[in-house]
Amino acid sequence: MGFSINAGLLDAMVLSIVQNNDTYGYEITQYLRKAVDISESTLYPVLRRLQKNELLETYDKEFMGRNRRYYRITPQGNDSLEEYREEWRSHKKKIDSILLNEGAESNEQT
Amino acid sequence: MNKLEFLTRLRNSLEKGGLPKEDINDALTYYEEVFLDAGFGKEEETAASMGAPEDVAVNILRESGIRADTAPVMPPQDSNAQNFSNNTAAQPAKKTSGGQWALRIVLAVLTFPIWLPILIVICALLFTLIVVVCSLIFAAVITAISLIAGGIAAIFETPSIALMLIGVGLIITGIIMLICKPAFNTFIPACGRAIKRFFNRVAGFFKKGEKENV
Repeated sequence: MGFSINAGLLDAMVLSIVQNNDTYGYEITQYLRKAVDISESTLYPVLRRLQKNELLETYDKEFMGRNRRYYRITPQGNDSLEEYREEWRSHKKKIDSILLNEGAESNEQT
Repeated sequence: MNKLEFLTRLRNSLEKGGLPKEDINDALTYYEEVFLDAGFGKEEETAASMGAPEDVAVNILRESGIRADTAPVMPPQDSNAQNFSNNTAAQPAKKTSGGQWALRIVLAVLTFPIWLPILIVICALLFTLIVVVCSLIFAAVITAISLIAGGIAAIFETPSIALMLIGVGLIITGIIMLICKPAFNTFIPACGRAIKRFFNRVAGFFKKGEKENV
């Protein structure tokens, strides 16, 4: 895929995945892989950043005799995700208007 | 590369980059979990998918603000940028260790009311031990002398009791001679050395601290 994903978009997608369900690192990567080509090592700094900005928090849950670190979205995380979604909608509209000749009919073209 | 090798190399790179221990452990926990979640038979495959541990470390360091004096380069895929930050990543390590020193000194000063009494109590206890041992030996010596002296004084009036007194006195003298050597040669000097070491350590701590501050 030729389009690159920037950090903000990645943050937003991770927030969205965690909002649906508390989940753990490996599963988040598997989810993201449906849309973008990323590895576990791309995800870690993202999770860390979201955690430091208090958009995500973690807790440990036992799984098969070991602890698995789960991520949970915070109220700030929810707010931030809403902003991201709003931004994405307008961004997408603008891109589509050019790339797919959609929406805003420019007066020049017929 | 298996899980162990990957995690070891990652740890080494993060330590070299001067990342705080807490953050290193957090990262290692995450990557260990990735290996476990990927499944036992897939170690090699998982390691390969994540790339070289050194590159992984560079990304983590950059995200943790160790990029401070590196140009803010956005795309993590840019290998040139990674090399660049790799070179500069080693520098802040020294700074943080200096900062850690300052922190330790501040902590030492702040916790002064706690550790000073503890130090005094330990020294007092050691000193008490020395005094107790000395006085026990002193008491034994006095007992032995008085028993023998009393025995000699009474030898003509009640020889049987006198002989018993002298005998007990001699036994105690023997015990004293057995005890004295280890007590004076090893036990008391050991206590003394322990007290001295405590003071040296405290003094050394402050001396180092002063140098570091200047």
